Parts: sequence; structure tokens; C-alpha cells
Amino acid sequence: MGFGDLKSAAGLRVLNDFLADKSYIEGYVPSQADIAVFEAIATPPPADLYHALRWYNHIKSYEKQKASLPGVKKALAKYGPADVEDTTDAATDSKNDDDIDLFGSDDEEESEEAKKLREERLAQYESKKSKKPAVVAKSSILLDVKPWDDETDMAKLEECVRSIQADGLVWGSSKLVPVGYGIKKLQIQCVVEDDKVGTDMLEERITAFEDYVQSMDVAAFNKI
Amino acid sequence: VPVLQTNNGPGLTGLMTIAAHLVKQAKKDQLLGSTAEEKAVVQQWLEYRVTRVDGGSSKEDTRIILKDLNVHLEDKVYLAGNIFTLADILMYYGLHHVMVELTVQEKEKYLNVSRWFNHIQHYPGVRQHLSNVVFIKNRLYTNAH
Repeated sequence: MGFGDLKSAAGLRVLNDFLADKSYIEGYVPSQADIAVFEAIATPPPADLYHALRWYNHIKSYEKQKASLPGVKKALAKYGPADVEDTTDAATDSKNDDDIDLFGSDDEEESEEAKKLREERLAQYESKKSKKPAVVAKSSILLDVKPWDDETDMAKLEECVRSIQADGLVWGSSKLVPVGYGIKKLQIQCVVEDDKVGTDMLEERITAFEDYVQSMDVAAFNKI
Repeated sequence: VPVLQTNNGPGLTGLMTIAAHLVKQAKKDQLLGSTAEEKAVVQQWLEYRVTRVDGGSSKEDTRIILKDLNVHLEDKVYLAGNIFTLADILMYYGLHHVMVELTVQEKEKYLNVSRWFNHIQHYPGVRQHLSNVVFIKNRLYTNAH
């Protein structure tokens, strides 16, 4: 974790992004976490980083109470987005990076940076991918199921559709909509978890009931 | 229109009047603001709640309210700036039914309102029986700003 180098513009940008949807560094009350980050910033953030500036002014108003805020002050690297490193004091640390002395040539500084960047980007990508399941993405799908003719038993058709069970699939309400010539189509709602159930799977299983179902369409697909 | 009937006083009518009265009774005057400016800002949002939020709620009105709020909250943590006041509480209750219905995209569009709302609903004692409105942590529509 960390915000990169908080004394640089890039680090402040990370902080700004982090605070766009949060009032505090950690949780919903001011704490030592906010004090730790506040003290690492040299000057108030510029006006264009307005989330960081908002937070800065707010925490400044707690100056007198800073010792009594809850929590324990931890190292800067413990706060912030999970995929960014803290490099605020990197100027002093870089001299200890003897392990990355693989090439031993004058170009070593450049390739070090390029490697670090690539690794950072990879780590970011991985953690973004793994973060996703924490948020269960759901969608509400409205399906149109069409029978062969007006003699098809719609009650039986509905039963067949509802009998399709899957992890992450919940059937909702349904109604019969007339389409002409006495034929009615079944409009049925369902809520699915995007990762687990897809419309093609649904289509396959519904059209499998060949005796009743002539075809199936997705009438509406809304993200929840 | 809400009415408060007490045992030893006149009956009071009106949401803001009752709310302010209860705050003073509970001796939590700081909820109404400490400085003159803060008090004025609190009053401003209480008035806003009754006239704009409760008064008109067509889709267009709601959008204007959300836009106003989003601009106001850009540089403030609470409606009155740095302190939690009655304005936050009553605007939270007034807007809950709106926030519940917003799509993910709208919540990101009104990012400051979402941040403020998420903060207030976690404030101890505020949410009570209302449902928790979910705000997704990962921004999906980052090009929108």
C-alpha cells in the first residue's frame, strides 16, 4: 500500500484519486491514519486536486485534537490503495538496492526503472483482477420466450423455464404478452451474477425445451 | 406535515421547527452549527430540504438537487464544512429514497454526493432502520470525469 512519493505531484494524484469517494484515509472518522498522511505532505495540495485539498483542509481543522484521534499511527506504506507502493522516502532508500545490480553496466539505472515500472503495472493488473469478485456484479435480464403456436401450454412452458436452476441465477416475475394471431410470448425477469451466468447459457438451456419453446430473445439487459 | 405535541408546551408544526427544537432539548446545539456562518449554512440546507427536496421531486428537480449538492460538497466533508450538523442528518433522510434508486453510473457522476452520503450513513446512530445504500469501491466509468 502507500501513495507513491507523497512529496511529488504523482503521489498527490494517487492520494487525490483515493480520496475522491472517501472522507478519510481509513474508515468514516478522522484517525491517526489521516494524521500520518497529513504530516507526510509538505504543502497543501494544489487546487486542481480538489479531493486531496478538501481532505487536507478538513484534517487541518482537527490540528488541535490530533493527539486524541483514534487509532495508531502506522508507516505510510500501510495506507492507501493496495496496489501502490510508498516511495516518499525513496531518495534515501535507493542506495540500498544492491540486489538489482544484475547488469553491472551504465545502463543499469534505466533498466531498473523500467523493470520496476513493469512489475508495478503487473502487480496493479493482478490486484485489480483479484479485487473484482469482492463486488458481485449483477444484472437484471428480461427474456422473451416464444412458443410454437397458440396451442402451446404456456403454464407448462413457464414451468420449464423456471426449472432451470444455476448458481447465481434467480428467477423473477413473469407475464404473458400477446404477439398476434392468439400467440402469447412469456416475458420473464431474472437476476444473474455476471461472473456465473451468461445469456448464452440461458439461451441454450431454454431452447433445449424444444417441445414448447420456439425461440428465446433478450428483451432487456440492465446492470444492477 | 409533521406535528409535535408536547405535554407542557404548545404543539409545534413543521419538520425543521421540530428538529431544531429537539436538538436544543437534547442540548446538542453544536448540531445546528457553532459560528454564525455555520448556523446560516445549516439553516440554508434545512430550508433546501423542505422547499426543494420535499417540495418538488420530478426527475428534473432531482437532477438539479444532485448537481447542486455535488458542487457544494466538492470542497467540504460535511454540508456545513468540517462539522457534522442537523443539515447532514435531514438531507440524508430526505435523499435516501433518491440515492437508493441511482444507477452505478449516476453514483459515479455525482461522486461528491456519493462520498458524503456513504460517510453520513456510517455515522453512528444515523442510519437506523433505513437500508444501506451500496457504493462500489472500484470506479467503473473513469472517463466520466
